[in-house]
Amino acid sequence: MIRRLEPIKLKDYTKLHVIKTDKFKTNLIGVYFQRPLLKEEASKNSLLSMILTKGTKNYPSLMEINRKMEDLYGAVLASDVNKKGERHIIQFKMQLPNKKYIGDKDILEEGLSILNEVINSPAIQNSFFIEEIFLQEKDNLKEKIKGRVNDKIKYAVDRCIEEMCKTENFSVYEYGDVEEVEKINNADLYKHYKKVLASSPADIFIVGDVNEDNVEDVVKKNIQLEVQDPVIIPREEIRKKVENVNVIEDKENVNQGKLTLGYRTNIPYESELYEGCVLFSNILGGGPNSKLFKNVREKESLCYYIFSKLDKFKSIMVVSSGIEFENYAKTRELIEKEIESLKKGHFTEEDIEVAKKSIINSIKSLTDAPNMLMDFYYSRLLSGDRDSIEEIINKIESVNKGMILEAGKEIELDTVYFLNKGKEVK
Amino acid sequence: MSAREIYNDVLNEKIYSKKLENGLEIFLMPKKDYTKKFAIFATRYGSIDNKFRISGEEEVTEVPEGIAHFLEHKLFESQEEGVFERFSKLGANVNAYTNFNSTCYLFSCTDNFYESLMILIDFVQSPYLTDENVEKEKGIIEQEIRMYEDNPNWKVFFNALRGLYKEHPVKIDIAGTVDSIYKITREDLYKCYNTFYVPNNMMVFIVGDVDVDKTFLTIEQSLKSEFKKLEGKIERIMPNESENVHKRRVEENMSVSIPLFNIAFKDINNNLRNRQLLIKDLEIKMLLDIIVGKSSKLYKRLYDDGLINENFEHEYTYDLTYGHSIIGGESKNPDKVYEIICNEIEKIKKIGLNRKDFERIKRKSIGQHISYYNSVEFIGNTFTSYYFKGINLFDYIIELNRINFESVHNRFVEHFDINRSVLSVISPN
Repeated sequence: MIRRLEPIKLKDYTKLHVIKTDKFKTNLIGVYFQRPLLKEEASKNSLLSMILTKGTKNYPSLMEINRKMEDLYGAVLASDVNKKGERHIIQFKMQLPNKKYIGDKDILEEGLSILNEVINSPAIQNSFFIEEIFLQEKDNLKEKIKGRVNDKIKYAVDRCIEEMCKTENFSVYEYGDVEEVEKINNADLYKHYKKVLASSPADIFIVGDVNEDNVEDVVKKNIQLEVQDPVIIPREEIRKKVENVNVIEDKENVNQGKLTLGYRTNIPYESELYEGCVLFSNILGGGPNSKLFKNVREKESLCYYIFSKLDKFKSIMVVSSGIEFENYAKTRELIEKEIESLKKGHFTEEDIEVAKKSIINSIKSLTDAPNMLMDFYYSRLLSGDRDSIEEIINKIESVNKGMILEAGKEIELDTVYFLNKGKEVK
Repeated sequence: MSAREIYNDVLNEKIYSKKLENGLEIFLMPKKDYTKKFAIFATRYGSIDNKFRISGEEEVTEVPEGIAHFLEHKLFESQEEGVFERFSKLGANVNAYTNFNSTCYLFSCTDNFYESLMILIDFVQSPYLTDENVEKEKGIIEQEIRMYEDNPNWKVFFNALRGLYKEHPVKIDIAGTVDSIYKITREDLYKCYNTFYVPNNMMVFIVGDVDVDKTFLTIEQSLKSEFKKLEGKIERIMPNESENVHKRRVEENMSVSIPLFNIAFKDINNNLRNRQLLIKDLEIKMLLDIIVGKSSKLYKRLYDDGLINENFEHEYTYDLTYGHSIIGGESKNPDKVYEIICNEIEKIKKIGLNRKDFERIKRKSIGQHISYYNSVEFIGNTFTSYYFKGINLFDYIIELNRINFESVHNRFVEHFDINRSVLSVISPN
């Protein structure tokens, strides 16, 4: 049994969303804050999400917080920042075992109150964050940002987007950048923290077997959020006329080349053609049945992984693959050929059916994982979408070849990024 | 023959099981209200099994490294309709993986479960290998190997294994090397298939909202007559491995921003089975949590000194013939981290472990284990892994509740021996 209750307005810009279900062994609480994705702010938001979970009024050190979580039968507290188009989302989550499994002890309220402390009552010193914690996390954040080079697969996608959207906010890396982090001082950050609490539209989610008669009261009692002056975050610019394809190459000491092609779909998620776009991307490179997998991997043995991925909010599609360095030109040509081929309509009804089934399978599967379910509904909230899972599935089902072709018409190659070998080693 | 039923009241979960004449054991955990169904068909054949003999045969067979993984790739090849196509028509998601001890073929789906199950059981029994398709796969696997070569977490781990083990095949890369895969022949693949892909060396695990009887029947009806119990036993030939480590320190350079490290401890006393093995597993995991977990004083010290960050994990992995615990993370000064951890271990040997820490970690471990049961993938993959070690996953929570402080203490002294430890480092260029 899974039931999505109507959103409850707690305060003017704070809503509670409850998904009641008895199928999990845990309850999951999530608190999300919306910020604009801006170079000047992103680093501060990241640093905040890292500092707030390191010490609170009653648990002034990470060790004390962690010990309390362990006492609560392995409760898990997490915080992170996330890019959703040109929004920067600061999120806090807590997972608690359901009372049924821990001798009927109801720890939900205790969990909510600790989460509230994390958000509202950080450990402070002289009216700012504890200097030691501030400095430590500032350092950690710089390392985290520099560390993005460690995951070469993600790096090759991030770099492509960074170059492609150079003049747009979407190019901002979700954790910020080292120069901006360097500039942050404790007083500034604390001021920003207060501003975040006062001006970020906030949403609280709960997934679990809660008592729907009193959940609103329980949350109101334990979590205090007061957003007075919400920041306005404009809808992303998604249309772009590409004059020339931008080609970028980086050189690192790597064993495998990483190629990413960045496309503008020119179709916003509000459009009726959006689902057509989703299908286009899936048929192209959504899994082992896709054109790219069959033709570039299986037929040509050029790669082990190759995929295409659509960013819903910014209407960008990336195609990415790991290849032998000397196969750059050949692979790029093949990928572009596959897209041209799809645009010309060289795909069958069966291709469409297979893609639909795959997408629908993924959507249905979301309901089996509390975190994925929560993130999914939050993402829908950001795009102003109140559809139920069934309605979303129907929209996918009703896509036909014509719509996919129509959606494909507008897809344009914007940027090609290649991570090559050959970095000078001193 | 009807299925056995076991109920675990702590987890509020049930498992049905059945062992067929041919030795194949089938398990099913019903998961009401879940939309996803998950099935895994696995063989106890992994990357460490590169030297073996079937009793009755004179010759020992030794095959090139990476063959179990290669075979996993090749089983998706088919003479008729491709395996991926067959599943995708039903909307199911098929995949496979090879690790040190097993090769697992799995699918998940929200509809058409029984049809998908038939395909799973069928395709794993139907190898189709030609010289041509074997050659073609080499290019793909070569790219897979190269992809892993660029992954610093993978490298720091395997280098730690190479430091720990001189002879034991657990140190071999699961996919093999670019050189070794080019040596693999069709004959090698068939030999391994015929030896290890036999019902008495395999198992099936299903989890989801499915009908028990219909599921068992579907599986039984999908078994081919050629799929026969192997006469004789498979002797897996493991070399003699010293209790000592091979190399105390291993370092390599890669394009990373900050050094990564793995600190590994080599296990001794590797002849435990079943319950004793499970208890050892639980105790070592608990010890790691107590000593270097995120609530430990040691973690606080290393973190506050800027020597580690939030990427600091630990795990204990083992099979019947080996075991090692690993503490991994990122640090500007891995040698210092290693030194501090060793000192802490020496200190605990003198003053003992703290009982309050033990109680708290025990409570956390219980809650944590229970929460994992939200995931059908966790249940399927973990049950399978434990099955091949001769352990029933349901016993995990039972033994966890029984763990006592004294036994944990003795385990600490036995396992955490600095002289049997290795430091592996990946440094920036």
